[in-house]
Amino acid sequence: MEKQIAKFIVNGRSYEIPIEPRMTLVEVLRDELDLTGTKYSCGVGECGSCTVLIDGKPTLSCCTLAITSKEKSILTIEGLAQGITLHPIQQAFIDYGAIQCGFCTPGMILTSKALLDENANPTREEVKEALAGNLCRCTGYVKIVDAVLAAAEAMRKGGK
Amino acid sequence: MSQELSVVGKRLTQPDGVAKATGAARYTVDIKLPGMLIGKVLRSPYPHAKIIKIDKSKAEKLPGVEAVITLEDTPKIPFASSFRDLPMAPSGALQRPDQLIFADKARCVGDGIIAVAAINESIADEALELIEVEYEKLPAVFDPEEAMKPGAPKVHDYAERNIAVHVGYPLAEGDIEKGFQEADCVVEDTFFASKQIHCQLEPEACVASFDATGKVTCWSPCQLAHPCRRELAHIFNMPEGMVRVINPFVGGSFGGRLSISAEPICIALAMKTGKPVKLEYTREEDFTVLETRTPHKYSIKMGFTKDGTLIAMQVKVVTWSGGYLGRAQLAGGITLIWGMGHYRCPNRAGEADIVYTNTTMSGAMQGYGNPAIMWGVEQVVDMAAEKLGVDPLELRLKNIKKVGEISNMGLPIESTALDECIKAGADRIGWREKRGRKKEGVMRQGVGMATMTHCSGAHPLLLEHSNAFIKFNEDGSANLIVHPGSPGTHIWGTLSQIAAEELGIRAEDIHIVTGDTDITMFDLGSHASRSTHVTGNAVLMAARQAKGQLLERAAKTLGVSPDELEVKDRQVYVKAAPEKSISVAEVVRNAIYNFKGECLNISGKCSWESKWNCPPTTAGFAEVEVDTETGEVKVVKFVVAHDCGRAINPMTVEGQAQGGIMQGIGYALTEDFVINRDTGVVESDNFTTYKIPSMLEILDTEIILVERPDPKGPFGAKGVSEPCIVTIAPAIANAIYDAVGVRVKDMPITPEKLLKALKAKSDVN
Repeated sequence: MEKQIAKFIVNGRSYEIPIEPRMTLVEVLRDELDLTGTKYSCGVGECGSCTVLIDGKPTLSCCTLAITSKEKSILTIEGLAQGITLHPIQQAFIDYGAIQCGFCTPGMILTSKALLDENANPTREEVKEALAGNLCRCTGYVKIVDAVLAAAEAMRKGGK
Repeated sequence: MSQELSVVGKRLTQPDGVAKATGAARYTVDIKLPGMLIGKVLRSPYPHAKIIKIDKSKAEKLPGVEAVITLEDTPKIPFASSFRDLPMAPSGALQRPDQLIFADKARCVGDGIIAVAAINESIADEALELIEVEYEKLPAVFDPEEAMKPGAPKVHDYAERNIAVHVGYPLAEGDIEKGFQEADCVVEDTFFASKQIHCQLEPEACVASFDATGKVTCWSPCQLAHPCRRELAHIFNMPEGMVRVINPFVGGSFGGRLSISAEPICIALAMKTGKPVKLEYTREEDFTVLETRTPHKYSIKMGFTKDGTLIAMQVKVVTWSGGYLGRAQLAGGITLIWGMGHYRCPNRAGEADIVYTNTTMSGAMQGYGNPAIMWGVEQVVDMAAEKLGVDPLELRLKNIKKVGEISNMGLPIESTALDECIKAGADRIGWREKRGRKKEGVMRQGVGMATMTHCSGAHPLLLEHSNAFIKFNEDGSANLIVHPGSPGTHIWGTLSQIAAEELGIRAEDIHIVTGDTDITMFDLGSHASRSTHVTGNAVLMAARQAKGQLLERAAKTLGVSPDELEVKDRQVYVKAAPEKSISVAEVVRNAIYNFKGECLNISGKCSWESKWNCPPTTAGFAEVEVDTETGEVKVVKFVVAHDCGRAINPMTVEGQAQGGIMQGIGYALTEDFVINRDTGVVESDNFTTYKIPSMLEILDTEIILVERPDPKGPFGAKGVSEPCIVTIAPAIANAIYDAVGVRVKDMPITPEKLLKALKAKSDVN
């Protein structure tokens, strides 16, 4: 299949990548850019593991043709921390025991970021609604919700 | 045990937290090697078929295809995905090796027939489509009871009536007939416990690569890495030392990673091509090819005297195995052991048939037979309580075992806090106020309970052998070299806390070195809730040895004897004069860079064979609301009290417990393995057709940790993980009965089944 060069802006950096039209965003991120923090799990948009933020909106990268996200701002889990300083959501997930196997964690954290960027003070119900598309088989979700609420508080107090 | 603890018992964060929160953690699916090929498997579309002819010529000619292999290209050495020689001590039996790398005939839809390796995934997929296979369809059988009938299609030639194994209950006692004759109240019923699917989020995967010497390295999520290495060496007729298994991060297991799956085909492709190969399953393959929880159909009969004393118990099990045994072959026997080992009972008997069918293999999943059998046992106890006119809580308190009695696996119980768990849980759910409330209206509420006993490692059934090695670094930190499976159970943190407590340093001073069979000493791996207890004891003993060396060296410097010293928070000090001290780092440095002819890298090593299994116990309490018009069940609250001996890290124990509740709710209510009875195709093959709980199903949970330290556990700890799921489904079933007075005995309790039961009841009335 014909390849074309497309420009992707991932975690603030610009990449020109030859892609085939059929390629999904998760393939570009994982296979071309080696950003394996974005997880591929179900392949059909049922589990949320592959969630990245495109222009701030949570997006299932397994169901997104790469070409549709060219020139847009893509944030993956690798772009969230500032050097070794973790984002408050990452820190809260660690502090509250919200990570077990960790495979859903990147998608959970990015979906949470989109929520908290839009709603700095969500209720418990709003967190559950926002994260309902992200499956986790380990934690039973309770500590994830606790972590997101704690991160919200930390961010209101001056994190970011 | 009134030790003062500085590290154990603290809610510490995990050593792998940052890697997982930043995306830096690499799982098997993330491994990429230079020149790596992509493997794909052609699978049988038929549940039972002879393979008449394979034409792979077109696929082989496709540019980018490097190998197309069939059974003829492999060593044809029979193996067991759950390991041939995982020893079962009482019978001495080995597991039957009934598998080959590729099927000699298709025994289930999805049986692997051919594999390809190509330079990328799309070429590999295209190659699969170019392969022509001529099958001769054979009659298939999906139901174990049908499979046992004379004349049923035979899945394996050797197994008459498809019965692979018939096992008796190894701990039978008394006279079962006499027991039932003497009983005043006998309750008997049959149940079906379902074929739950693990749904771990990381797809099954393997990467294999041979080096110039012929040694193979295999990146695999298998949580029993050392036994895995041994089985792979057997399959390829290689010495164990020429096989290296590396466990990267593991994206969930719940028992699914106990068996080998993708490894043999992946290695065969790497061997054929001489290049690294990655074989990653699709989600559909995960749902339809991997071993599931082993389902069982069983009958339970329990006999009580008037005063509620259990005096006779009999369990008969038909274990539903798939086209190959996998880990189902031990599941029948262990189900009897869990089922009849929980309550004190002088007359016990039981048997199990493990039966082949033309379906997906069955295997181990969290609790390994315990959730399946307690689903029935705990409902029968409630039925008996109703018949006897007693509170089911009191009936349980009367019959649970106490310290000194014999455990489910035949060992004396040295600690149990089940009585306290039952009382604490009942108190928190509001048992007395809520039980047997007046039922009116469409929405009916009810509460129910269940209890269980498990194990912390499976001695004496299995060889519970673990090793630990600890070496100090010049900065006073220590490397802990161990190899439990680590599929998200926080075991690295747990072992760090055990080591740090004993060594008198901080948990963050422990560097875990793990996941590589070339480096780590033998560990059976993680199963049977063993790692905290068995590997934990190995770590504790290794740390004790290292501490001995540390104190000896410090004693020389401080001019006292070692027994006058203690070490705490990185400092060795004289107990009687704490101001006289030296840092751990300084002691270690002086020993390594020793210019007095006494060089020593302070270290400790332990080969630990567990002779106990310190049964953990739990009591679970469910509060439900049933919509009598739709049959929908909402679990409003779940309280679970865990007798965990000592919570090494309460935060992670809670996390395990909360996860178990959610999986248990799925098991009880929504998760349904559906196979098409005409085609043998698994229809529940994605997250839409197989419904696991999402965040919307979060309920009010309360986790009570009852800490009564076990004398044999590391700092008193028992296993935690598997017990977390066992009581959930039966407690929900009992709560539904309290709410609406009907029971659905075959899982899951779907709205359709519940409505049918409600209608049947109203028709009778």
